[in-house]
Parts: sequence; C-alpha cells; structure tokens
Amino acid sequence: MLVNGKSLGAILTHSPGTTVGVILVSLHLLNALFAPLLIPYGETQLVGQPMLEPGHANFLLGTDVIGRDFLSRLMMGGRTSITVAMVGVLGAVLIGTFFAVSAAYIGGFYDDVIMRIVDTKLSIPGILFVALFVVGFGRSVTVLTIVIGLSYFPGAVRTIRSQAMTQVPLAYVKAARLRGESTLSVIFRELTPNVVEVVVVEFAIRTSSAILIVSALSFLGLGISPPTPDWGLMVSEGVNQIYQAPWLILFPAVFISTLVVGLNFASDGLANALGLDAARGLHGG
Amino acid sequence: MLRAMIRRTLLSVLILFLVAIFVFLATEVLPGDALDVYLSEDDVAVMTEEDIEEMRHDLGLDIPAPIRFFTWLSGAVVGDFGVTIVDQIPIGNIIFHPLLNSLQLGAIITLITMPVAFAIGATAGYWRGQRTDAVVSTTTIIGYSIPDFVIGTVLIIIFAVWIPLFPAVITAYNKAHPMELLAVSLLPAITVIIGHVAHLSRLLRAGFIETMNSDFVERARLSGVPERRIVWRHVLPASVIPTLNAMALYMAGVLSGLIVVEKVFGYPGLGIELIEAVDTREVHVVQAIAFLGAVLVVVMNLLADFAIIALDPRVRSHVSER
Repeated sequence: MLVNGKSLGAILTHSPGTTVGVILVSLHLLNALFAPLLIPYGETQLVGQPMLEPGHANFLLGTDVIGRDFLSRLMMGGRTSITVAMVGVLGAVLIGTFFAVSAAYIGGFYDDVIMRIVDTKLSIPGILFVALFVVGFGRSVTVLTIVIGLSYFPGAVRTIRSQAMTQVPLAYVKAARLRGESTLSVIFRELTPNVVEVVVVEFAIRTSSAILIVSALSFLGLGISPPTPDWGLMVSEGVNQIYQAPWLILFPAVFISTLVVGLNFASDGLANALGLDAARGLHGG
Repeated sequence: MLRAMIRRTLLSVLILFLVAIFVFLATEVLPGDALDVYLSEDDVAVMTEEDIEEMRHDLGLDIPAPIRFFTWLSGAVVGDFGVTIVDQIPIGNIIFHPLLNSLQLGAIITLITMPVAFAIGATAGYWRGQRTDAVVSTTTIIGYSIPDFVIGTVLIIIFAVWIPLFPAVITAYNKAHPMELLAVSLLPAITVIIGHVAHLSRLLRAGFIETMNSDFVERARLSGVPERRIVWRHVLPASVIPTLNAMALYMAGVLSGLIVVEKVFGYPGLGIELIEAVDTREVHVVQAIAFLGAVLVVVMNLLADFAIIALDPRVRSHVSER
C-alpha cells in the first residue's frame, strides 16, 4: 500500500519514536481485543479477599478494594474508553469531512453559517461542554460517545476545511465543474479523495486526545460508571487507599499513560511522514 | 485598522450570543427540567397534577423558553446567574470565591509556563532537526500525553506518601486567604505546568521556525548580519506574533484545564464547584460556569487578534476577512 509515494511500512517506522509508538499501540489494541479470552477471573466478580498484595499465588497483581481480581480489571480497563473515543471521533471526522469539504466548495452564506457554529463550539472548553450534556442526559456510554463526537466535530471541520480550501481553486475542480459534474459529485468524487491524508491524521491525533478526555471524565466521575473497569475510574477509586495500596493507582496510571504516549508518538510520526504538522491544536477541539 | 478591530469585536459578540443560546438550550431543553432536581420520586408520587403545575409556576418554569432565555442572558451579562434550584442561593455567591481561587492558581501557572515554554520552543526551533530538537520533541510528546490526573496522583504518592513533605489533600476552604492557598499551590501548579509547557513549547517551536524561514531573516543573513544578532534582534521579537495566538489559545484553556487538578488535590476552585453541580444536577450552576469559561476563551482570542492587528500590518486585511 502506498500513501504519498511512501509505503505503509516506511510510514510506520518513520523515526524511532514512531516505531515505539506503533508497538505500544499494537500491544494495547491486542490486549483490548483479546482480554475477554485471557483474563483469569470475571472483571466484576468478587473472587477473593480485598486488597491482597501483588504476587499472591492466585491473583498475580492482587485484588482491589472490594476483592475483585486486579489483573483482570486492568486488562479490561481500556476497552470502554478506547471504543468510546474511536467511535466518537470516527463519527466526528467522517461527518465533519462532508461539512468541511462542502463548506469550502460552496462557500458564501452556507460556509459562514457552518463556521460560526464551529466557532461557537470551539469557544466552550472541552470538559465544560461535556458537563453540560452529562447534567442533562445523565451518564451512559451512548451519551458519552455522542458527546465525544460532538466535541471533536468542529475542530475536524476547521482543519479539513482549510485543507479543502487549498484544493478548490485548482484546475481539476474547475474541469470537473465544466464537465457538468453535480455539486455532490465534485464534493465526493473530486475533493474528498484529496483531503484523505488530513482526515487520517486528524482521526489519529483526535483519538488520542479523546482517550485523554474520556479517562479524565471517568476520573472526575462524569464518564464511565462503576462497576465497568476503566483506568481513569480505577485511579480515582484508588485514591482512598493511596497510603495502604499505591499500586492500585500506579498500575492503571502506567496503562493509560503508555496508551496515550504510544498514540501520540504514532500519530506524530504519521503526520511527519505525510508532511503535515501535528502540533497544531492538540488541545483544541 | 480600527475597522478590522470593530469587525472582529462584533464577531466576538455574535459568537458569545450563540454560546449563550447553546448553553441555555443544552440545560433547559434537555429531558427533565429543574423540577426533577427539586422533587424526589416520592414527592411526585404524593402530589397531584395541580400541585406540580403550581410548583412549575412558582419556579417560573411555565414561562416560554425564549423569554426565560433573555431574562437569564440579561442577568448573566451583569454577573447575575439566578439562584440554585434546591437551596435558592444566588449562584454568583457560590462561584465568586472559587472563581478567584482558580484565577489565582491559573495566574501562577501561566506566569511560569510562558517563559519556560518560550525558551524551550525557541531552543528546539533554533536547532531544528538536530539532536537537541529530537530530545525536546520526544520529551514534550511524553509531557502532554500523560494525563494530568496521573501526574497529580503520582506526585502525591511520591511527595506525600513515600516522602511525606506535603499533605495528600488540601484542606483549605473556599474563602481561604490567598497566601494560604499560595502555600498549597505548589504540587497542583507543577502538575499542570508539565503538560502546559510541553504543549505550548511545541506550538512556539513551530512559530519560531516559521520566522526563521521568512524572507527578512534570509535577507539579513545574506547581508552578513551575524547569526547571533539575527536571532536576538530579528527572529525572537518577530516570532512573538505567531506566538500570540498560541498563547491566547493556551490562556483561554487555563481555567478549564484546572478542573482535573483541583479535584486531584482538593483545591477549592471552580472545578470542584462544577463537579459538585453536575452531581447534584444544579443545571444553573453548570450553565454559569460553562458560560464564564466560554467568555474567557472569546475575550482571550479577541485580545490576541487585537495585538496581531496592531503589530503586524500584513494580517490587518486578513483578519477582517475571517
């Protein structure tokens, strides 16, 4: 497979950091996919005495504060937030691409309306935006996924639109119009294929940012709710045992950190390999 | 120049108006209204239809939404956000001290973050593509990837549990003296600064490189101006302009960036108030805090654009087109 004249292998090993990132992400994805088959105990089952230390004969990493197997919970702890982040951001980026490209192509009042909506959303800081929805709709995985989608939609529109703007004046677009192609056809068949790289990088960068937001929300008690295991939630649950059992915090902390570090190294490498700038607007959106 | 500034200001007012509509809609039109918070299910079970209607009337919920919106907005503009649903306490009173506390912590963080990030960004930009740059890039990616609740709790484990230098939880309350809060701000500030420096220095590096590559720097170099002088006299001052937007974006996010760290350390700020309000479904408090957060973003962006319009003749026409 070739992108921009570079093979996929060359992109994934663009720099040592990229390779490390790709390896970390792959390990996390494999774990998230196969954890249900690998875990020794049910992740929400009470299976032993509470707060057994790591290294116990039956429980490799010990048990949590109410006696659930800690290793099982750790391995299952990324599935929900990864799914919420990926589905939400994918939706935002796909729908955002249509609005971005059509706004760039059609322009005028339509473009103005879309961009003012984008500006409005970008003015409300991320966690406050989510809080507004959680207070109205309550917390559930569905609400969370939709809110993540809405959160990342405007940022995606803005980035992809500015890429599409560079394409609209080019000759092939004019040629397509003169051939008599319909507006929708120009948007989908001519312009969209030429912004795909930006869309892919946007998806990669925003997914890691979304995972950060989802885990921070779970930590705050606004995201994923118990008894579902989640790393952000596990850190906040561990705070009460910080003196007796700091490892209840440290293990999920390492898991969430390695996942996001990996994602950011990988997407940074991807952006560099494709000649795009990954630094812009990481916290935006 | 004045025209561009007026245009830009009007745009900001329009956006704030749209934000106000959104914030109002999000909490007023969503399923369930203030009455759900006010009444428990048991209350509803023993009340008649008329009782409930009367209650809605007392709480002003039977007034059409557009009228309630303008009543709310005209109050919000002067800092009056109404009263809480359950205890009928003015929301201004509830959020005033936490807001000041958060602003104080935010100011400390900003004062440290900006010069450090500028220095790191300029250094990495100057040696771009070389070893120093690679080390800085790697470190900054790690810096903004680790969630701040992780940095915060790990700092607590190290400096409160393993080496007991600090208390694990801040016990200062809302109206604590600023100096008392300052004394407990060290760990929360460090937690936030790590991520902010990492993120901001990356943006500033991009701005620095952009300036290094511009024509006037090339011209200075060709006419034999020493490299050192180019950097100090030309590049650094000029790189302030691309830096301003990044700074504004950053400062606008300072308050909302504190929510997590306030929760981690129990710092009595707006973030704690927000989480409590969401828990108790005090929609008007959430509304007020979200609106304040957005006002800050819009005002910061406006000020940055003003500065850019004033400093850089090239963008005057561009800004007015946006």
